[in-house]
Amino acid sequence: MERTDNMLRMLRTNYIASQDEILDFPWQQHVAHLATGKVLQTNPVTDYREALYVLLLSKDNDSSVFTNIVRARENARSVQDYITKELWQNLNDYYHLVRSPQTEKIIREDDPVTAMDLLLREGILFYGTVDITMYRGEGYAFLNLGKYLERAIQVLDIVEMRVRTMDASANEAVHWKYLLYSLSGYEFHTKEYKNALQAGDVMNQVFLNTRFPHSIMYCLLQIERYFNRLDSLSLPESFKEIKFLLGKAINELRYHSDEIQETQQIERLTALARERVLTVSGKLATYYFGYS
Amino acid sequence: MSFARLTESYQVSEHIWDEMCHRGQIRPHYESLLHSLSKASLDDLASKDDMAKKLFMSQGVTFTVYNSGEGIEKIFPFDIIPRIITASEWAHIERGIRQRIKALNIFLDDVYHNRFIIKDGVLPASLVYSCPNYLREMVNVPVPHGIYTHIAGIDLIRDSDGSFYVLEDNLRTPSGVSYMLENRNMTYRIFPGLLPKSNVRSVKDYPDLLLKNLMALSPRQNTEPTVVLLTPGIYNSAYFEHTTLARLMGIELVEGRDLVVDNAKVFMKTTAGLKQIDVIYRRVDDEFIDPLVFNPDSILGVSGLYYAFRKGHVAIVNAPGNGVADDKAVYPYVPDMIRYYLNEEPILKTVPTYALDNPDHFNTVFDQIHRMVIKKTNESGGYGMLMGNAATDEQIATYREEVKKNPRQFIAQPIITLSSVPCFLDGMMKPRHVDLRPFALYGPQGIEIVPGGLTRVALREGSLVVNSSQGGGSKDTWVLAS
Repeated sequence: MERTDNMLRMLRTNYIASQDEILDFPWQQHVAHLATGKVLQTNPVTDYREALYVLLLSKDNDSSVFTNIVRARENARSVQDYITKELWQNLNDYYHLVRSPQTEKIIREDDPVTAMDLLLREGILFYGTVDITMYRGEGYAFLNLGKYLERAIQVLDIVEMRVRTMDASANEAVHWKYLLYSLSGYEFHTKEYKNALQAGDVMNQVFLNTRFPHSIMYCLLQIERYFNRLDSLSLPESFKEIKFLLGKAINELRYHSDEIQETQQIERLTALARERVLTVSGKLATYYFGYS
Repeated sequence: MSFARLTESYQVSEHIWDEMCHRGQIRPHYESLLHSLSKASLDDLASKDDMAKKLFMSQGVTFTVYNSGEGIEKIFPFDIIPRIITASEWAHIERGIRQRIKALNIFLDDVYHNRFIIKDGVLPASLVYSCPNYLREMVNVPVPHGIYTHIAGIDLIRDSDGSFYVLEDNLRTPSGVSYMLENRNMTYRIFPGLLPKSNVRSVKDYPDLLLKNLMALSPRQNTEPTVVLLTPGIYNSAYFEHTTLARLMGIELVEGRDLVVDNAKVFMKTTAGLKQIDVIYRRVDDEFIDPLVFNPDSILGVSGLYYAFRKGHVAIVNAPGNGVADDKAVYPYVPDMIRYYLNEEPILKTVPTYALDNPDHFNTVFDQIHRMVIKKTNESGGYGMLMGNAATDEQIATYREEVKKNPRQFIAQPIITLSSVPCFLDGMMKPRHVDLRPFALYGPQGIEIVPGGLTRVALREGSLVVNSSQGGGSKDTWVLAS
């Protein structure tokens, strides 16, 4: 669900940018980066509608919003005893919306922003339903661990993709603006950082700002917070190891000494953060879900 | 739907400059738009019209009308068909506005300091000193970087020959820029894919340019000056614009009661204590900004604000006292100002204007009142205006008596038939009259004009009154890149 929410926000932002500011938006590059599965074997997309269809609704794209929702619903079906009835109902509604011919029609013929807003609204309802109806037990802690791990990975993906798109463009500030819009962080940036959009400030917000809910640091701190709740439910050695890895990741990021200005520095930091997040994620999977 | 079907109800008078049609032919810069529109049916266009209304409402792009103690949210009527301005037309407009703003700014500096223009007899002293918006408190007061007209909205119209005329200058607190931004956002929602292929210049930079200019005015040498937008409050009809601009620039939206002056410095009350303010973008009129100096009954301003401004501890945008330059009685002298200060010929034309305190003008105007419009020199928004061609004999007689009581407060102009553009009304395309308000930003690094503006449209058939307060609407304005 977190992946879907981030993806929708990014696609909504990029679509709007393509309409008014970045007129030669590289949709094919976007599809190549985001889509997976059979869809990549078909012909390259030629316009924004086709790209949006592939990324939002295609059944042949293993990473489309459609596929995400179908899988989320399947997961929910298998853990119905851990989730509330309201949450199950919400996921069902989301599933029916994403399958609805009307949604497809809007994306193919009308205003895609309307369709993406409808889908985003279901996501917001999901978060609200989780918050209001789920009891704060083990299930809730794991749900949040998953949420923030996924968010961190999505943010890193979005940064990486934006930096890649920027190479071909002269106007850096426009790209920073749309990166922040994708992460719902533009308004926060204008309030918090008074200077014109600069790489250093943007990266500070995206990686380190603890008040920005889409920053890597915020995600890591939230992961730590929810992980601590598993203390009494864990084997001491596995708990200690993951706690150590989390602390290491947070401190490495917090005390990262490079000024993040150049593309190469951003790429280095993104790689470092990704490696740390994936390590934590892998250990969680091993110790708590028995994946090896 | 065919091209012909789309335009079959579009009947244009030969005596009016229509921006889309000329002698029955579509002008080249409208062809691509019409071609795209003709792919949709009239029903589709009607649905888009509905969708625009719903989106404006759901996004809260509204103004509030208070009736019987209840607030009623209304949308500023929006017409879905954009108005198109070619690159060469825009270049002309841009040059003309730049020239005009430059001259008006020098005029303000002059009229509050050396008064050369009066001493040299270009402008009568009585005209300046009788202007209620001439602030004696601003005499010999320096303003940051010598700039008075930081934000200007210049109202332009087109006569039957297509040439652009300045109808009025708005140099105090011009509004409408948020609608310019929202109208553009609406266009890409209702016509996906149309903007990228139409080569339209973006208007999105406006808030960034404005913030850059505001920050550059800070009297303190700090890298992060504190800029605020001072609003009269939620009951102001332009409150939506105030919140939009504050949000887009990331600055605090404050009311008078949020600010306090201490030791000639302005502070904002925050939960962490007082925070010094460097720049105030005020949307409160001069009269209300400081009850100690101007209207003592004002609760919208801040006591001591003017003193802090005089001491140079805070910048106020736009500078107080600008009303003398956009007074309608001063307007006919702007071409002379351009010649006097810049030694250039005016690029944009000015509508012939009669000052009614001149007895000869008074008689001339009332002899041909059916061809004239009379306006109050200090009113805006279409208030206090008499359209001679639409008024009854009784209304004219009453108005004449009112003018006689204080003729300095009135000017008259021949009625200019505004140009028309296509609008989508009642399920059909129909011509309606429009004006254009481009927005110019004057900062320490020069004058910048956002390529676009607010096109206001008189939605009633035959009406020439475009003001929103008088039933006007607006539409997106496209300036083509080439």
